[in-house]
Amino acid sequence: MSTIVIEHLARVEGHGGITVELEGDKVGSVRFDVFEGARLLEPLLRGKRYDEVAPTISRICAICSSAHTLTSLKATENAFEVRVSPQTELLRELLYRGESIESHALHLFLLALPDYLNYPSAIAVAADKPAEVLLGLRLKKLGNLIQETIGGRAIHPVNAVPGGFGKAPSIDQLIELRSVLMQGVADSDAAIDLMASLPGADFCHADTTYAALRSPALDTYYGGDEVMVVSNGSRAIVHAADYKTLTNEKAVPHSHARHSTFGGKPFMVGSLARLTINPGRLTGRLAVAMKRLKLQLPADNPMDNNKAQALELINDVERALEIIEQLLRAGVKDERPVPVHPRAASGTAITEAPRGLLIHSYTYDAEGRITSADVITPTALNAANLEMHIRVAVEQCADREEAVISKRLQMIARAYDPCISCSVHLVRRR
Amino acid sequence: MSKPTVGIFGLTGCAGDQLVILNCEDRLLDIVALIDVRDFLMASSENDTACPLDVALVEGAVVSNRDAERLQAIRQRAKTLVALGTCAVWGGVAAMDRGADRRKLLEEVYGETGLSYDSVPAQALHEIVKVDLNITGCPIEKDHFLAAIANLLNGDAPVYPEYPVCTECRMLENNCLLIERGELCCGPITAAGCKARCPDLRVPCVGCRGPLADANPSSLLAMLAEKGFDRQAIANRLRTFAPEGVAQ
Repeated sequence: MSTIVIEHLARVEGHGGITVELEGDKVGSVRFDVFEGARLLEPLLRGKRYDEVAPTISRICAICSSAHTLTSLKATENAFEVRVSPQTELLRELLYRGESIESHALHLFLLALPDYLNYPSAIAVAADKPAEVLLGLRLKKLGNLIQETIGGRAIHPVNAVPGGFGKAPSIDQLIELRSVLMQGVADSDAAIDLMASLPGADFCHADTTYAALRSPALDTYYGGDEVMVVSNGSRAIVHAADYKTLTNEKAVPHSHARHSTFGGKPFMVGSLARLTINPGRLTGRLAVAMKRLKLQLPADNPMDNNKAQALELINDVERALEIIEQLLRAGVKDERPVPVHPRAASGTAITEAPRGLLIHSYTYDAEGRITSADVITPTALNAANLEMHIRVAVEQCADREEAVISKRLQMIARAYDPCISCSVHLVRRR
Repeated sequence: MSKPTVGIFGLTGCAGDQLVILNCEDRLLDIVALIDVRDFLMASSENDTACPLDVALVEGAVVSNRDAERLQAIRQRAKTLVALGTCAVWGGVAAMDRGADRRKLLEEVYGETGLSYDSVPAQALHEIVKVDLNITGCPIEKDHFLAAIANLLNGDAPVYPEYPVCTECRMLENNCLLIERGELCCGPITAAGCKARCPDLRVPCVGCRGPLADANPSSLLAMLAEKGFDRQAIANRLRTFAPEGVAQ
């Protein structure tokens, strides 16, 4: 028996590894190991007042900090039955799009691209192909500018609070943002050109179950509370309140990771899942880009998640522009957050973080102090499916050279864009 | 002159300070032209994990024996060790309740298997090794990072503000959230450098940069008590990012 070990996965957020045991030509156990330290943030939240919860829990992860902040606020507001203003809804969606642009650009250009071009890092790519890396940095900066303008800071946004925002952006700020986003339209097309020029990554095929928030027109990451699960043509709906049916975890003897399954099957969340479940908007520029990338949905290749992220860059820039137009048409009001009246209650929120479904579920006491918190992250939801794809990739690799297998497995793991800091409280650690 | 060798490391945290480095989009390629980044796992799959380093930038807190061992190994390699961010400087959010029964918390989150985890109460870097420079913030400010790189290249030590967030807030002519609106704002005891980002947006300071060296928490406590906040609420707020920095 031999073992393939990827000791410390590079170019991902956090600390994780992969172990595959081979018994002759057969694949034995497959593990996506997480050795991120336990920060125990959920129990540490206990006793915090409702307005302290989002700024504390956002520290789970920097790359997804807007997603954690917004999902946390939505869960708290659901518990206290707070209805935020339409302007707040739009600004939150815009903030979410900013994070998605930043996160996808970071992942595609700085983390994933070097694999396709056979470089160890984007820094090394930049030495030979600076234009490609600069394109990525420009898109990344655009995402950060949106987060800074709306959220007050690119990482761990401070301006989004229970009931609304500390301060709404000014008309001038939105006009400035719009002009930078116009450049982003061309840049997101250029990102498709680059992705279409890369060598194919065609080494793992498997029927895949996908789960995403329903948003047929792909117009919201933040709104809605119905998750759709699609598998081989069959569809099921899970409401936010029933989220535990999605995280129905099962300890399996061959793995260190607890497996999230739905109807006994692992599933994939993230960009590819969102496009598969919400194809309504795949028209116009998105349809053209999809054809150029030769992407067909539902996909059976996890590497297609990179293509889906590139398509979402187009969608995110378009949607951000629409939101800004809407805000400018309506006029931005200097409104204060809706007052929050705490009471003993529970609230659950599901949103679409850049990496997929994110769930926060809280219980508060009568004074508005949190008594329990449950946070389910996309990387934790994806863990079982990633292990499935790793297994399939090894099985489908005719070449038994360890270096070949190892590179493929790393590329698959990166295509999931794992955020291991996020996953740590759900995936068991080594 | 040969370029200084640099390693960028994350212990346990949110990777936000490494992300701030990657967020220097306009300067990133200039920076990597001036320094020789040898070890940066978040950005590269080819790293020299043993070479001596002129500068090691380390983010995150120590929450496991594995973290402590990694930190000691980094210290041995590095001439200058820089703690990046509130977790590295103060312990950060994971250290907010260091007195809690860790075994109980582990069991609560991970079930019985949690008891076998390598897990220790969160510590700041200086509690384990000698730290040469602290750059605080959750996350660090981009300008502070760029200034540190420029200073280190020139052989100087960077200088950061030694006054509270309130000073920056007053310069912006904001109404005081604490005195005028009675909100639980940590500005008076929190190290400036953020340009009073939160109170400038009418959001109270949560103290994410950690306390000022010569902060006067007792006067803040007295003021907050006068505004009607109970001890528990105040303690919760003040302990979130820097448990040891203020009176318990």
